[in-house]
Amino acid sequence: MESDSLLVDPTLAADVLRAALARGGTFAELFVEERESLGVRFDDGKIEELDTGLDRGAGVRVVRGTSAGYAYSNRLDRESLLEAASAASASARDGGPTQPVGLRRIEPEVRHVAERSAGQVPQDVKVQWLREADEAARAVDPAVRQVVAGYGDSVQRVMIAASDGRLVTEERPRIRLVVQVVAARDGIIQTGFHGPALVAGAEFVDRFPPAGIAERAARQAVAMLDGIAAPAGEMPVVIGPGGGGVLFHEACGHGLEADLVQKDSSIYRGKLGERLASPLVSGVDDATVANEWGSFSFDDEGWPAQRTVLFHEGVLEGYLYDRIRSGRDDVASSGNGRRQSYAHLPIPRMTNTYILPGESSPEDVVADTSRGFYAKRLGGGQVNPATGEFVFGVTEGYLIEDGEITRAVRGANLVGNGTGILQAIDAVANDFDTFVGTCGKEGQGVPVGNGSPTLRIARMTVGGTA
Amino acid sequence: MTVVLDLTDLCAEVVGAASGDEEVEAFAQESTRTDVRARGGEVEALTFAESRGVGVRLIAGGRMGYAWVADPTSQEVREAVVRARTNAALAGEDEHNALPGPARPEPLEGLFRESLVSMPTEHKVTLGLDLEVAATRLDPRVRKVQAAGYGDAVSRVAIASTRGVSAEYRRTDCWCSVSALAEQDGETQTGSSFRQGRDAGDLDWVACAREAVERGTRLLGARKPDSGRVPVVLDPAAAVSFLGVLAGALSAESVQKGRSLFAELLGEPVGSSEVHLVDDGRLLEGPGASPVDDEGVPTRRTSLIDRGRLSAFLHNTRTALKGRTLSTGNAGRAGFRSSPGVSPSNLFLVAGKVPPGELLAGAEGGVYIQEVSGVHSGANPISGEFSVGASGLRITGGELGEPLREMTVASTLPEMLMAVSAVASDLRFFGGTGSPTVLVGEMTVGGT
Repeated sequence: MESDSLLVDPTLAADVLRAALARGGTFAELFVEERESLGVRFDDGKIEELDTGLDRGAGVRVVRGTSAGYAYSNRLDRESLLEAASAASASARDGGPTQPVGLRRIEPEVRHVAERSAGQVPQDVKVQWLREADEAARAVDPAVRQVVAGYGDSVQRVMIAASDGRLVTEERPRIRLVVQVVAARDGIIQTGFHGPALVAGAEFVDRFPPAGIAERAARQAVAMLDGIAAPAGEMPVVIGPGGGGVLFHEACGHGLEADLVQKDSSIYRGKLGERLASPLVSGVDDATVANEWGSFSFDDEGWPAQRTVLFHEGVLEGYLYDRIRSGRDDVASSGNGRRQSYAHLPIPRMTNTYILPGESSPEDVVADTSRGFYAKRLGGGQVNPATGEFVFGVTEGYLIEDGEITRAVRGANLVGNGTGILQAIDAVANDFDTFVGTCGKEGQGVPVGNGSPTLRIARMTVGGTA
Repeated sequence: MTVVLDLTDLCAEVVGAASGDEEVEAFAQESTRTDVRARGGEVEALTFAESRGVGVRLIAGGRMGYAWVADPTSQEVREAVVRARTNAALAGEDEHNALPGPARPEPLEGLFRESLVSMPTEHKVTLGLDLEVAATRLDPRVRKVQAAGYGDAVSRVAIASTRGVSAEYRRTDCWCSVSALAEQDGETQTGSSFRQGRDAGDLDWVACAREAVERGTRLLGARKPDSGRVPVVLDPAAAVSFLGVLAGALSAESVQKGRSLFAELLGEPVGSSEVHLVDDGRLLEGPGASPVDDEGVPTRRTSLIDRGRLSAFLHNTRTALKGRTLSTGNAGRAGFRSSPGVSPSNLFLVAGKVPPGELLAGAEGGVYIQEVSGVHSGANPISGEFSVGASGLRITGGELGEPLREMTVASTLPEMLMAVSAVASDLRFFGGTGSPTVLVGEMTVGGT
């Protein structure tokens, strides 16, 4: 059930918008947020900490052309909101007042609701989930030495009122359980990690039983104990399902965010309609996928969630826009204006970024590779969007020898550049999986999902020590 | 009308809500921030922020619970104490959960400067705009920046507890940064630079612009190097990326939980005799300075690696109790929203005597690395193994030569520390971590 109580009275919201545009400006917006959160950390065989938080705040943005003034505080009373409006309008002082359009409520087209509110589940049940995870991880192999399990849930209530008359509210329930495992044998120490997450309630544990999450993390750590040093050099690289989504997000997705495109710091600038990727590659950004970690009903500027085609059969079809950047290009926002919280300005961000499945079977993709590297799981990565260069850690990797996945490989990473690897993809399988995480940009972290089938990159630099 | 509680009143409310033998601590914080981002000669964004809140740590029967709330009313403060109590009841027992006792910290003069508080917004905007202009006028190959800006924060912290801790301090911080886009023949490279200080007078923004331009333009024409083992010189920014990983391994919390590569090595050699690593919470030149740590324990200088020998770990009150030692004043938290863990204050590699240029002579045919990426994902803090991406320049004839990109550098932190053969005199801080230029013996550099 969507709560109908507004965080700020609509009449007050309208007054704030009027005050924000009192000195001119093309657009103003009030973003109000309240967030309750719980975190539980299980470490070293016991619950180390439970912590609960209550955050609350509001930000007023005044836009003039491409210039934005922003002011926020933790207070939601009239005096504080009007003060924020006045501060935010400071940079738009050269015009007469602009009149905001009367506010009207917009209903969402997609909802991502909790079937069973996590807030209603007693805390000792959540503590038990973590105990189950701990036991399951330790049962995988005697080499498992340490298990750290973390649980978090939160409800973020958002209200956005804008001078174009837009008034939206959304309640975003989030839930995540992560397990990190350390395995050791003969002086070798390796780690494994798994941490699925949803915009949902306690039904999360039906889809992702805590024991299953823990086993996956433990198996990864144990598998890597037998790893040999990673090879270094160029070779064919097969990336397991989901991993290609992480690569796509980092190496290509950021370069499609319109702020970077417009700053001329993207290699994708001015290339719409060009074939930049292998014809096997179709990719989307989709905030409408039911209950996925990067999903929402409205973005943080009150724009409805959308599915945006980025590549269709290798051809670049779209960029990711927020309000300001869409205005500059004279197109509609793609609903990608996101922010970490009221303390941040919205900027173009990805939501759930997927490479769509193809037709080959994943087994055939590996069998067709006589010698290469199989990256089953990727860790985090970093990319320079201006050059497209990236580097990724491989958390679980194997050699491919004579068309078979053979020995585990430790300490490898993948290095390359975004357009280069998109063009070099020469096989796309028909499986699919996702990885979720927090994407950081300009100091703001937002929840994102990444997904892909098994992919092969014909040639790619593997960095290793051997 | 909302009644605004002063930080000390907030703390008093929290401590007053303790019952029985509970130990209760309040950490209250407020800050005012300004942030300017310039682009194309205009203000892209100007942000004003005011925030405050309180975190409550409650220990009862060896069990610890935490709750926090942003800008609370008196009622919400008391509710937060109740939530912390409920959380504590479900947590595991640990005899080392305890709050520190009262101390008399020496004030740290110079942490707060009135000049920043009274600086007009227009001057801040001008500084951001000027930085962008400066970066685009130094070299014809740099006509745009990716980002340029100025930011500052005026903050106040108050800590109080049922054990008698009562600390309060104010601080000012400011910074500027620019990321220049260097372009030539369809190729683009970026070069970033950053400066920080206590007031705007500390920021040499002209030097900041010059450095960003130099770092970007000198990479133009870069190609991948051949794979092989070569000597490596890390510039301060690159060296600092690795120190961040070391910081985690030097935390007593990691050590006690068996998650540190240094776990059994106290008193043993872990680096070459050139390696002298220090944490100093009272060093005003470092941005991590403060009179007390985040649980009110006075800060100090701690030598962690002394001429290559591991001499100490970083402790907060809890790890110190467990390790039967004293806190080093390194309780740290990400503001009032989190309970204290262990974190460095100003962690730095002590500078040597030689100028950085002399290090190049000892690394003929090697690689000068100016930027590494993927350290957090590419380094294993437990085993110390890492493989990271890097960009930099070939060292030829004792000078910086051909630019190199898409390199990978792989080694282990222990091997790298042992291989440090010279440390230059140019110590610089990036956030709370600092390093001079460092010459490391041979490392595996991957390319084509």
